[in-house]
Amino acid sequence: MANLSSFRTIRDIHSAFESKKLSPVELTQEYLAAAKKSQTGAYLTFCDDLALKQARTAEDLILKHGGVPRDEFPLCGIPLGIKDNLTMDGVKTTCASKMLETYVAPYTATCVSRLEKAGAVTLGKLNLDEFAMGGSNENSAFGPVRHPTHPDRVPGGSSGGSAAAVKADLCFASLGSDTGGSIRLPASYCGVVGIKPTYGRVSRFGLVAFASSLDQVGPFARSVEDAALLMDVMSGYDPLDSTSIHQEKLNTVAATRLPTDWSKVRIGVPQEYFVGGLAPAVDRSIQSSLKWFEKQGAKLVPISLPHTQYAVAVYYIVAVSEASSNLARFDGIRFGQRPAASDQAKDLNDFYMKSRSLFGSEVKRRIILGTFALSSGYSEAYFKRACQVRRKIVDDFTQAFEKVDLIVGPVSPTTAFKLGEKNSDPLKMYLNDIFTIPANLAGLPALSVPCGTDEEGLPIGLHLMAAPFQENRLISAAHAFQNGFES
Amino acid sequence: MVDVNESLTKQVAALSRLELSETEMVTFSSQLSQIIKYVEKLQEVDVAGVEPMSHPFELPTPLRPDVVLASPKDAEGKPKVLQSAPEVLYDGYKVPPIL
Amino acid sequence: MHPEFEAVIGLEVHCQLSTESKIFCGCRARIPAEQSVGEIAANSSTCPICAGHPGTLPVLNQKVVEFAIQAGLATNSQIHLKNRFARKNYFYPDLPKGYQITQFELPICENGWLNIETSTGSKKVPIQRIHMEEDAGKNVHMADFSLVNLNRAGVPLIEIVSGPDMKTSEEAGAYLRALYAVVTYLGICDGNLQEGNFRCDANVSVMPKGSTRFGTRAEIKNVNSFRFVEKAIEFEIARQIEVIRSGGRVIQETRTYDSDKDITISMRSKEEAQDYRYFTEPDLIPLIIDQAWVDQIKSRLPELPEQKKSRLISDLGLSAYDAGVLTGSKSLAEFFDQVVQKLGSSALAKPAANWVTGEISRLINEQGIEIHQSKIRPEHIADLVRLVHDQVLSSTGAKKVLELVWVSGESVHLIVDREGLTQVSDVSALEPVIQKVIDSNAKQAADFRSGKDKLLGFFVGQVMKETGGKANPALLGELIRKKLLG
Repeated sequence: MANLSSFRTIRDIHSAFESKKLSPVELTQEYLAAAKKSQTGAYLTFCDDLALKQARTAEDLILKHGGVPRDEFPLCGIPLGIKDNLTMDGVKTTCASKMLETYVAPYTATCVSRLEKAGAVTLGKLNLDEFAMGGSNENSAFGPVRHPTHPDRVPGGSSGGSAAAVKADLCFASLGSDTGGSIRLPASYCGVVGIKPTYGRVSRFGLVAFASSLDQVGPFARSVEDAALLMDVMSGYDPLDSTSIHQEKLNTVAATRLPTDWSKVRIGVPQEYFVGGLAPAVDRSIQSSLKWFEKQGAKLVPISLPHTQYAVAVYYIVAVSEASSNLARFDGIRFGQRPAASDQAKDLNDFYMKSRSLFGSEVKRRIILGTFALSSGYSEAYFKRACQVRRKIVDDFTQAFEKVDLIVGPVSPTTAFKLGEKNSDPLKMYLNDIFTIPANLAGLPALSVPCGTDEEGLPIGLHLMAAPFQENRLISAAHAFQNGFES
Repeated sequence: MVDVNESLTKQVAALSRLELSETEMVTFSSQLSQIIKYVEKLQEVDVAGVEPMSHPFELPTPLRPDVVLASPKDAEGKPKVLQSAPEVLYDGYKVPPIL
Repeated sequence: MHPEFEAVIGLEVHCQLSTESKIFCGCRARIPAEQSVGEIAANSSTCPICAGHPGTLPVLNQKVVEFAIQAGLATNSQIHLKNRFARKNYFYPDLPKGYQITQFELPICENGWLNIETSTGSKKVPIQRIHMEEDAGKNVHMADFSLVNLNRAGVPLIEIVSGPDMKTSEEAGAYLRALYAVVTYLGICDGNLQEGNFRCDANVSVMPKGSTRFGTRAEIKNVNSFRFVEKAIEFEIARQIEVIRSGGRVIQETRTYDSDKDITISMRSKEEAQDYRYFTEPDLIPLIIDQAWVDQIKSRLPELPEQKKSRLISDLGLSAYDAGVLTGSKSLAEFFDQVVQKLGSSALAKPAANWVTGEISRLINEQGIEIHQSKIRPEHIADLVRLVHDQVLSSTGAKKVLELVWVSGESVHLIVDREGLTQVSDVSALEPVIQKVIDSNAKQAADFRSGKDKLLGFFVGQVMKETGGKANPALLGELIRKKLLG
């Protein structure tokens, strides 16, 4: 039995395959066994048959090529977990909602099929906040995910299962989605790496939409390098997603292999991100991270992003408005479940009300808020104005990136909080996303990389953001940081 | 400022086709009221002449050639999309009598 | 109409575009000509995208944009180079995503017009906008349940919105026919009214004559025959005038037309009106159209009904009426063009036009089909015209031939020979018959000689009767006159 936590990188695993210490099938079986035993609640569905088939294919490939065919199959035999708002043909996609408890998707998300084509093994589907709406993973209809090292705490959300599973060795890497911080926040809380690529870098086809103009799929891994590899594999134009971007295929992994000329790196430190409210341990870790960059030769540049204070308000109008429309398709007619009460409905409206009663509270709250913001008489003052202020926020970044290459700050004001702590106050929960939301509004690439722990050993994440399409810069800095920084 | 009372919540819930219980109605109203109060701060921003932003990058949309692709079928030749439907009859989605 | 009132009519036409695939996915959109919608298995032309499955996204069909641009150019509209799509949100079982992807703030075409011809003269009807959108599916209602069929969901539509500038049902009918001719000439719409390819909503209001303030309007939904649109509007105008004259108030509402009873019926009032919550479709970034593409489309536009009509009048000397009838339907106009081509000269265009606008139109209208669905081919008409012109066939004989061609599709010459319909122009064959008729009608012969010239017709008729209608009437008159007057 291999010690799963001994594998630090995909390279370690591939060496183990080649030295015959371990086969892809054995590795897959071990991960599945660990995942099934785990109390974290990270998984919602296991794909044993599919995973073992993929693992056998990987074994055949290694045998055939006399080694791991890294160029063509860079993820050969690597066991992954997939957030359960990404579709896989023939596999349940529940979005952690009663609404889709029985929904078996008839097609596969582009990002997942690209990973599969690169040789990856898909172990199963990971828990999340219902329809990715939440920051703690407490909003799952199938039970919360627990923090991997502190079970009384939340793992962060909405991709809580994806972060916890990587940290707890229940998969080697995973996919999540980030609408307002849903990758970076749990990555920060759980102490793993999470990347949100530039909007449009990774196809959204097969990602069940929460807020279409903000959603982006991204990877979780232990190392920046491995997360970068997953991102590279998934990225690129997809003819099935009109908002995916025609750009050269990413090769950020190559960027990690080049030495960084720190003297040319200007790091922006937004004054608005350090205005108090930061937990002391978080503040300390971020400050020492900034010092590390400075020590390498990078220039720290104080910058201002004056509209940051409006980001949460803009986000909670734009995201819920789009969501109210995106979630209109859940009506119990074409897919998923329909409660028995629907068939006794007295009229069409009643039918919809009964069918849509399967949504959880947070989802209902957001649909109602979004419907309000778009409704006649209010849309000018709310939705339209939010879209206008969004441009102001984005303009702040455009100006900032004329002066700096990266923006660095905290992912979250605090470390992982206790289960139930913020449940009763949605607004308080929303405000937790203050640092992550702006990157979504502006479509920027951003990531969280571990930069220390607090007094209780809870991880703290460092937040790096770059200008649109500057993933290379982002990844090479984060990679150097992860390998050089000692908290 | 908008007064988010239960009557407005009820009206918007109906427009969303969501049925709220008595308790939900009370909690939601107060929570929504709190959130709306918070987002009121947007009113202080000068947005005169600012074009609303709907996409992070306003690039031209790609176009698809007018080519027919076979609609996916299951093993029996039935439309694959019907597999996940709650109730199907004569290849149609069955719903209670409407209208 | 009551002289104290005038009506204001605006029309919204939904025109299904004849693209092969749907607007946002690759499923088949166009029903093969030999099939009807009802014959296609429910949901067989659907996929996760048009069935609105979670995670799916729209990608715009280039042909839809091209067709919409064609419609805009052909209606003298301004083509917007920057377009946005919007979501129109409402719940209905035939609307898979819970919203329709349409255009709201920036439609593809604006500010066009179309010329119409009515009994009171010609008129320019303004077209406010043309926008692209997706069609919804269909609900089939049974006794205890309903079935949703999404084959039609995602079929591309353009909605063409006229200005509220028509005053009579005749104008509305003329506008619809003109618009129909345009989209079918362009080939962007199959134009099958029964299958709902071309559907019309009419906004109707009345106001005191001379007023500048429109009355409250009623919208009559989804009428799919030109005649029914006219009748529905006539009824609605009369109804609204009656409401006002009896002291009532017209309410804003949606009505439907019952063609059996020839009345409109209220469906829902404004109070229940929807709040569509339009907003920019975040899954589609703006559509940017290259001016060069528009120019290229413009240079390839086919001849349009207006142009063709002027050409028929000026080049072929047809009457405005004949030219109007011929160009009112693309298939009829193309058929006529081919007849003239077969005739090889424009000299016989007028009699050819008479055949097409007369007998042929009567026959196809009786059967409710298009000319290309009949057995009549252009060479049939060309042959008939030529034979009549050469006096080989009488016009009566020619009509008989046409009836037979209509049924069998056989060649004109074959039928003329088999039925022995060639006119007798042989003097030696006719003379004995003439003599016989004169002999047996001595009284009339004497009267003719004494100046009753009108009796010539009587003798021609008698000889015709004897020859079974095969005698050449012109020659016959000459011969009889010669025989009687010596």
